Amino acid sequence: MNLEPTEEQLSLRATVRRFLQEKASVADHVRPLLDDPTGMTDAGWLALAELGTTGLLVPADHGGAGMTMVEAGVVLDELGAGLHPGPWLSSAVAATRALTRVPTAGETGKLLAGIADGSTIATVGPLEPAAPRPAATATADGDAVTLRGEIAQIADAAAADVLLVLASDDDGTGLYAVDTSSPYVAVTPRRSIDQTRKVFRVTLHDAPARRLGPAPAEAIQALVDDVLVASAADALGAARALLDLTVAHAKVRRQFGQPVGAFQAVAHLCVDMYETVELARGGVLHALWAADAATPAQRHRAALRAKAFAGRLATVGDTAIQVFGGLGYTWEHDSHLYLKRLLSWSALLGGPDSYLREVGSQLVHELNPQGADHEHQ
Amino acid sequence: MDFSFPPEVERFRTELRGWLTANLTDDTIHAARRGTADPHAFETVRVWNRALADAGWATVAWPPQYGGRGATALEQLVYAEETIRARAPLPVNVIGLNNIAPAIMQYGTESQKHALLPRMARADDIWCQGMSEPEAGSDLASLRTRAVRDGDSFVVTGQKTWTSLGHHADWCQLYVRTDPDAPKHRGISCLVVRMDLPGIEARPLVALNGDADFAEVFFDEVRVPADALLGPLNGGWQVATTTLSHERAGAARLYAEQRLRLEELVTDLAKTEVDGRHALDDPVTLRRLGELAVRVDYLELLCKRSISASLAGADGFASASLAKTVWGELGQDIAALGFDLLGADGADGRWAQFRLTSRALTIAGGTTQVNKNITAGRVLGLPRR
Ligand SMILES: Cc1cc2nc3c(=O)[nH]c(=O)nc-3n(C[C@H](O)[C@H](O)[C@H](O)COP(=O)(O)OP(=O)(O)OC[C@H]3O[C@@H](n4cnc5c(N)ncnc54)[C@H](O)[C@@H]3O)c2cc1C
Repeated sequence: MNLEPTEEQLSLRATVRRFLQEKASVADHVRPLLDDPTGMTDAGWLALAELGTTGLLVPADHGGAGMTMVEAGVVLDELGAGLHPGPWLSSAVAATRALTRVPTAGETGKLLAGIADGSTIATVGPLEPAAPRPAATATADGDAVTLRGEIAQIADAAAADVLLVLASDDDGTGLYAVDTSSPYVAVTPRRSIDQTRKVFRVTLHDAPARRLGPAPAEAIQALVDDVLVASAADALGAARALLDLTVAHAKVRRQFGQPVGAFQAVAHLCVDMYETVELARGGVLHALWAADAATPAQRHRAALRAKAFAGRLATVGDTAIQVFGGLGYTWEHDSHLYLKRLLSWSALLGGPDSYLREVGSQLVHELNPQGADHEHQ
Repeated sequence: MDFSFPPEVERFRTELRGWLTANLTDDTIHAARRGTADPHAFETVRVWNRALADAGWATVAWPPQYGGRGATALEQLVYAEETIRARAPLPVNVIGLNNIAPAIMQYGTESQKHALLPRMARADDIWCQGMSEPEAGSDLASLRTRAVRDGDSFVVTGQKTWTSLGHHADWCQLYVRTDPDAPKHRGISCLVVRMDLPGIEARPLVALNGDADFAEVFFDEVRVPADALLGPLNGGWQVATTTLSHERAGAARLYAEQRLRLEELVTDLAKTEVDGRHALDDPVTLRRLGELAVRVDYLELLCKRSISASLAGADGFASASLAKTVWGELGQDIAALGFDLLGADGADGRWAQFRLTSRALTIAGGTTQVNKNITAGRVLGLPRR
């Protein structure tokens, strides 16, 4: 057991942090892109690619760094801390893991190479875990394949060049690639609580597609877990950055002749935030590690818990606004952007209650399989 | 980053598990449930402690010359996990082993170590810790019990209170004021005192659940030999705080204990019907159990991170304060759910007992508010008023 970061991970963190501070700050990059459907600039994206981050999870033989989710978590933590709005999670994690989790062939290598060098931006969907069957259906006519259906929710579709779609076909579920430039693909923005996260509805009107490979249930589950864990790492970054801003404010804001942080009522609010952040940090680190190093059951267990904790993590945003007072309630101040990032994580793929219930059922089942069976009689 | 344990640590686990399976009887497990206020249970646990000590399983972290096996931090963690998982009773001397022995190990003379430690491990001697006084609880440094040097003795006068096992103890690790003129943190010394010295009276103090687990201890001109001093004269504060910061694998007890408690709750609920339906069919109950299960797991990860960080040379004290805060509130919430669902009678009244005794989790050994002050100051760097 060794839970300390390596030198390599520390330098990756420093590199990403420096880039975000210098080239993609909240004031100069994030805020101007709040209403932009892509949430990115070409220059910003190329810089992330040049730092080697877009290919972090891409295997080395396709031009990537062949690293693990632990390293992706380092980048995500910094992106969350910087409220970064671009499609990094969708392309460098979700799409990349889809292409590596699913036994694919064909153009997979080319897609991965494009993701790694930043020339291709991809996203994947639908990821709703409860959906019994994918919302899109593939129809093959000779060599030509088309997809029809509606994906209710998919991230970063406006920024993406390629949609990776889980669609039902004759063999069950397959993974398909669709170009967003096709006139048969309609991309509509969806209301999101968080303007730094771009979410869309995509309608496929017999859109031309390429089949990449079959997507067995275990692979889809693993992919959903990866996305949950990656999103948890991003949210953790947002929460700890907000904690730092809040503590810094409590040290300098003076009322009644003293810093407000010297009032125990305020200090203990800050400690409550810290407690929540530290609990989440352990859970996220463990889930990131488990994504590549543990059994599928352990991986799923860890991802489920990270998601079930999302509601509690969002209280960091609520408490921060309380400590900032009236300032925290203004649009100009950044704390609402952080709260919204945390709330969008809490709402992603279903609110915390159903996940907490699932953890509860799992606990009961682990201890008392008979009792759990009784439940379904 | 690696959460897995090396094979030699897993071998240690297997060996310990085997020994526990072969030696831990239902009677001993049952005694653990009844608690040390019951005389028969007290003796049963004492016999168990001897068996552990004689097999080298009582104090695995200690060096072999005092009866331990020099276990690494990870082995200590596994030790806590396995003994709790097997439902072995806490040692009678839990406070002695966790809080007093490290101080003796660090500050004791060779003869103190040999005379005191093995007997503590076997529960041949029962130990208590005399810190709190009626006027000095959280503000421990304001303690007033005084010790005046007279020839080759200290003469001790004063009162301690809430002293766990005070009325059973053979020895007391006693904090006294030896320099009334020095600033309050610099005039305290630590003594190891036999409880049968003339002038000591321990009166059982009944706790909120009706059991007498702790005591008030009165010292009336008690002559304590000068070689009872542990650590430097007027260096008692340092003895108290270094003991706390040496808390490493001890953190493992925190999560292992709450995990077992939560598992017991699920087991009790499996036998229970609420309003004519199986308690574990209720989605609200499952949600509440799920919330507690995540917190237990996350406390475990917090403790493991704290252990990992202290192995890498970081200050373990700050993270131990945080873990203790989380532990206390979690233990109370588990007990509260058990009582809410099972009531006063359920599971032989066990959850009603926990519901009451869990209040101590945020008081004993430093209150949650004081822990939060420590975190606010030492970790977050917030100013003090
Ligand atoms: C079951 C049990 C076993 C114990 N065993 C022992 C033992 O073996 N040996 C021993 O020496 N002691 C023992 N104690 C005593 C324990 O250490 C003290 O009760 C504890 O340190 C708190 O002190 P106090 O009770 O005087 O509360 P006080 O210090 O009077 O505190 C009262 C309230 O004020 C709050 N408070 C105090 N100071 C501050 C502050 N600076 N900021 C914010 N809030 C504050 C506290 O959190 C608490 O809510 C035991 C207590 C219990 C319940």
